[in-house]
Amino acid sequence: MQPGDLSVILPEIILSLFAMAGLMVGAYGGKDKTAPMLVWTTSALMVALAAWIGLQGAGRAVAFGGMFIDDGFARFAKVTVLLSAAAILLMSEGYMQRRGLLRFEYPLLIALAAVGMMMMVSAGDLIALYMGLELQSLALYVVASLRRDSVKSTEAGLKYFVLGALSSGLLLYGASLTYGFAGTTLFSGIIEAAQGELPLGLLFGLAFISAGLAFKVSAAPFHMWTPDVYEGAPTPITAFFATAPKMAAMGLFARVVHDAFGGIVGDWQQILAFLSVASMYLGAVAAIGQTNIKRLMAYSSIAHMGFALMGLAAGTAFGVQAMLVYMAIYITMNIGTFAFIMSMEKDGAPVVTIASLSQYSRRDPLKALAMLVLLFSLAGVPPLVGFFGKYYVLLAAVDAGLGWLAVAGVIASVIGAFYYLRIVYLMYFGAEDSELDAGASPILSGFLVASAAIMVLGVVNLFGVEAVAEAAAATLVN
Amino acid sequence: MSESSHFLFLIALLPFIGALLPGLMIRAGRTACAVFTAVPTALALILLMMLAPAVMRGEVVQAEIEWLPQLGLSASFFLDGLGLLFATMILGVGLLITLYARFYLSGDDPMGQFYTYLLLFQGAMLGIVISGNILLLLIFWELTSLSSFLLIGYWKHLPEGRQGARMALAVTGAGGLAMIGGMLILGDIVGSYELVDILAAGDAIRASEWYLPALILILLGAFTKSAQFPFHFWLPHAMAAPTPVSAYLHSATMVKAGIFLMARMWPVLSGTDAWFYIVATTGLVTMVLGAVIALFKDDLKALLAFSTVSHLGLLTMLLGFGTQAAAVAAVFHIINHLTFKAALFMTAGIVDHETHTRDIKRLGGLRHLMPITFVIGTVTALSMAGIPFFNGFLSKEMMLEEASHTKWLGSYYVIPVFATLGALLSVAYSYRFIVHVFLGPERDDYPHKPHDPPFGMWAAPALLAVLVLVIGIMPVLAEAVVTVAANAVTGADLHPHLKIWHGVTPALYMSVFAIIGGGVLLAVHAPLQRFWNAAPRPEAKEIFEWLVDSVAGLSRRITDISHNGAISRYLAIFVVTSVAVGAAAFFGSGLAAPTRGLLSVPPVIAVGWFMLIVATVSVVMMHHSRFRALVLIGVIGLTISAGFVYLSAPDLALTQISVETVTIMLLLLALHFLPKSTPKESPLGLKIRDGVIAVLAGAGVAGLAYAFMLRDIGTISDFHIANSYEGGGGTNVVNVILVDFRGYDTYGEIIVLGIAGLIIYAVMHALLDGPASRRLRNVDYSQDRSRDRHPLMMVVVTRVLMPLAAMVGLYIFLRGHNEPGGGFVAGLVIAIALLMQYMASGFAWTQARQRIQYHAMIGTGVVIAGLTGIGSWLFGSPFLTSSYTYIHLPPIEEFEVATAMLFDLGVFLTVLGAVMLMLYSLSRIARYAGETVNLEPMDYDPAKTGSGDREEA
Repeated sequence: MQPGDLSVILPEIILSLFAMAGLMVGAYGGKDKTAPMLVWTTSALMVALAAWIGLQGAGRAVAFGGMFIDDGFARFAKVTVLLSAAAILLMSEGYMQRRGLLRFEYPLLIALAAVGMMMMVSAGDLIALYMGLELQSLALYVVASLRRDSVKSTEAGLKYFVLGALSSGLLLYGASLTYGFAGTTLFSGIIEAAQGELPLGLLFGLAFISAGLAFKVSAAPFHMWTPDVYEGAPTPITAFFATAPKMAAMGLFARVVHDAFGGIVGDWQQILAFLSVASMYLGAVAAIGQTNIKRLMAYSSIAHMGFALMGLAAGTAFGVQAMLVYMAIYITMNIGTFAFIMSMEKDGAPVVTIASLSQYSRRDPLKALAMLVLLFSLAGVPPLVGFFGKYYVLLAAVDAGLGWLAVAGVIASVIGAFYYLRIVYLMYFGAEDSELDAGASPILSGFLVASAAIMVLGVVNLFGVEAVAEAAAATLVN
Repeated sequence: MSESSHFLFLIALLPFIGALLPGLMIRAGRTACAVFTAVPTALALILLMMLAPAVMRGEVVQAEIEWLPQLGLSASFFLDGLGLLFATMILGVGLLITLYARFYLSGDDPMGQFYTYLLLFQGAMLGIVISGNILLLLIFWELTSLSSFLLIGYWKHLPEGRQGARMALAVTGAGGLAMIGGMLILGDIVGSYELVDILAAGDAIRASEWYLPALILILLGAFTKSAQFPFHFWLPHAMAAPTPVSAYLHSATMVKAGIFLMARMWPVLSGTDAWFYIVATTGLVTMVLGAVIALFKDDLKALLAFSTVSHLGLLTMLLGFGTQAAAVAAVFHIINHLTFKAALFMTAGIVDHETHTRDIKRLGGLRHLMPITFVIGTVTALSMAGIPFFNGFLSKEMMLEEASHTKWLGSYYVIPVFATLGALLSVAYSYRFIVHVFLGPERDDYPHKPHDPPFGMWAAPALLAVLVLVIGIMPVLAEAVVTVAANAVTGADLHPHLKIWHGVTPALYMSVFAIIGGGVLLAVHAPLQRFWNAAPRPEAKEIFEWLVDSVAGLSRRITDISHNGAISRYLAIFVVTSVAVGAAAFFGSGLAAPTRGLLSVPPVIAVGWFMLIVATVSVVMMHHSRFRALVLIGVIGLTISAGFVYLSAPDLALTQISVETVTIMLLLLALHFLPKSTPKESPLGLKIRDGVIAVLAGAGVAGLAYAFMLRDIGTISDFHIANSYEGGGGTNVVNVILVDFRGYDTYGEIIVLGIAGLIIYAVMHALLDGPASRRLRNVDYSQDRSRDRHPLMMVVVTRVLMPLAAMVGLYIFLRGHNEPGGGFVAGLVIAIALLMQYMASGFAWTQARQRIQYHAMIGTGVVIAGLTGIGSWLFGSPFLTSSYTYIHLPPIEEFEVATAMLFDLGVFLTVLGAVMLMLYSLSRIARYAGETVNLEPMDYDPAKTGSGDREEA
């Protein structure tokens, strides 16, 4: 360990120390009364860290003998993770407060999960990978069952935990096989061993690590936890699940396949292409029959992960760039959509049935319009920004010679469009009047409208995200 | 790029900028609102006309700025004859519709909103026809879906409006998305998304193996948009929209987008058999089918809607023929259809507006009441019928001419016959429009007394009717426009001559037959209609609904099967997939031949192996009885330890034995408070399923291990063996790894172990304050309890063993660095000694006799280990660097002292503390559960009770 190492992971250290200090403040300084203050400070710190990380210039720093990598790719993912986590925290404060769920642990667990995610996207070593992954997962297991008096919530948390443990085991099995055959846990060492014809152990290692990571990105057929957890967890938690962890897991996935197994693109390309197709179709088809909007969003996220994986499956720098752009867009859309779902209330109680949105446009035309934009964008209908995300990954797949994958993706998006449009249809032309309360907290409406506005205004130049993503991808793939 | 080409950007932008105006101007009144809608449209039209001369000369006006170059997307615009024709139509009809809508919409309708949507739509439509980049085209394409959705659904209160909007959106939206795929392939074949490049690469595209998928995907987009069979059903249902919308979207513009696209791509996609059979056949079917349905529709707008479907089919068929003459006919018919159909829609709107009904059965005899409307309606309907001197006749003649010599699957009759049939039906429903609405006796039961509308409302259709006549009589006037547009479509240099009289040709016979036949058909319309209504026929709307429902049902079944909420199913899917992944990796890789042979199996090992198998199977079979399962697990653990011994891993064996003992003991103590049997689980079928999956997964792991053991693989053990003594000062490699090579890990692990102990304590503490304590107090032991709780023999033996065990522990600790043993095992051994006291003599007795604070013990251990690590900093080495020396104390031999030993002491203390703290936590439960405090352990006197009776526990 060199003293310089600490400066490389300073953002992570700051956030961890903050979480520990916050825990002390919460435990000894008024318990849940401190929660609102902690929520605000946590998000403020996250935004500040994101700004700091984002404004660091180009360049690549390696700490702890290669276990921790700070490069453009990691920074892109970290900024996305931190900003989305901060946004979700801000959105959730009122919601959690009103339902008596605002415990002081909540913002701190989110902060710890964020530390884990930052570790994940910076991991340069199997051990670091696992550490980040588990730190994130453990925090998520807890927040998933935050609503302890609800059977659904606790059951969801428990299922998530059991399946998560199984996937971690699988990942570790793969990691130990990889270590055994490569003789090192460092990605930089593995990539030297994993060239050309692969020994069986490395192939197994790759397959099982991929399976473990597929669970984390909720790619089919490792997605089973997603609908239950999305439905069972309190809506802000669901929103969190749908955003930051997805970015982190995709980032980690990209890191592993490129940094550690970059020499054998052909081998993992098949795995990723399979995961991608399975996710896109399962997500699209299964979402159609849903009546609960949170479950619907779960399947939607599965399908979206399929598209992001398509970018990754390309195995090129452009593919990684496409994946990053896709994820950034996906997260922005989801923040807005969940801001809307959080504001769905009847007599102060949350409502999650899709049918309740019938004729919503009469109740609140502005929010209905914003939601319309978001749903069209989620469906990937041009000219909204969501289309560009889809288009990026399709193009990456075609460029990489995976034309069949792109065509499969287009068909899946046609199927998938159906259920988004069904919501639009209900909001504008439903049979009954909406029973939902009008109006919502200014924070939620603000996020909703801002997210929709981004989907419209972003068509000009995608706010420059493509150039940033390109630079980020270039640092990962070379 | 010439100066004027920049106008293209302006033209494209004007409607979007203008879309802001109506919303703002609605406060200034409805007329002002309409005027400000017309201004941007008119401006765009003027700019377009300034570019027109160049286009008419055969030039192509282009303008481009980069947008997202990496995606191949640029904001490039492209105006040629085809684009000019469509752009003029869009803007011109847009102006007329603006005027018409001003008078058509009632005071209750939010007019500002309507005009905003209208301009948005106009902008999107305009964008399609002047896009120079197919991605840009795609964007505008979907924008029309979006804005048309808002327009169709404008009257939200009508249920039909809702249905229509939904279907229109679902069908055209899906088609558009499919088209993205087609465009992507096209761009990939050509290497560019610029229209100019694509139009130049026709041969490459047709020769590509991806031609057919691209064609199908693009045609899906075009057919859905232009309501071609079998996607035609959405268009009539979208007619619930206000009539200005129907007139604009569903006759003049949006539905022509598909036709436009086919025309645009004609040079690159047409000319193949696939193109001919898909496009021409679809067009033919649509033409005839649409016309048949139109004839029997009683709703005025539905009649027009299906006639539109029919005419779009006609256009599609012409483009499908793939000949230049057919392309000319198509272009000409686009113009003609626009003029008469938009006017007809507006006429229908006027009738609806005035009489408050569109039901043909309730109409008739309007010619005296609404003379102006009657004239307009008649002129345009005759044009639709294709009567000479009206413009519809001209293009229909050209169509029939083309049809008469086109061969379909080797037959010269199929296309001419059906084309004539289509024309005949077209004549029939056109007559019907005139006869059943305007002619006949005047009625006295109109829902509303009709009269002609104000000038503003009939001005627009009247203008179109004039155009119908002008072109119909002097087709030469349209020649220039048709020529330049047809040249743009075909990419050739054509000089078509439009005229009324072509001589006596087959087309003329067909036309005459159609005109007369149409009249006959109308005469027998009433009985035919009865027959038609009685005949069963598939209703597209119902099929659509059924399709939607069944897809939703299918989806629900899939989720019910795969997401039934049972975690056992999730796990099954998870494990099966993992096994499949493993199998794919295993069989997919070229596995090298084995390099090692099998070892012989000594009988003892075979017995051990057999025991292991039996015990494992027994655990599965007998897990209902937890106690027995626990014992069997102990057997498995011990057998494995024996295996380690056999495989020369004494360290592992030692650790395994001690860990095994401690855990089994702790579990035994805990089991005391738990139900003695596990709940009943799944039915037999599920058990079999799970069993098969488990065997597969187990076989997979075993197979993998087997494969590895048969092969020589470079391992990392050599490094540790080589460096253990030199680097760490120990010959016991495992111990050196633990305290030196991976000292950091061990340090972390003991902290974790300590935390685990503390957490168990804390959780138990919290638990015992809650409802759990009540349950514990009332715990009902299901089994009889032994009255000899502390058997004499056991108490005595454990007490004798205590010092012995402590000695062994110390020994193991001290020898650890070089021989099997170490702090970890030593801690466990001492813990076992103490555990036995608890078991034999009771918690209270033991607790009362020891004064060690377990919390402090854990803390001390961690601190010692930490200090040892930090100590190496004093010597300038990194954290936890081990150093060692040899010490000679007189009575004993010289021995080695390594700092690692100090570290090991920390490990020892932490392990011992943690285990004991867990035990202590368990003992608290016991006391809550009513374990009596018996300070004298051997308090059972057999003499006190009789042999048969029992005390109640």
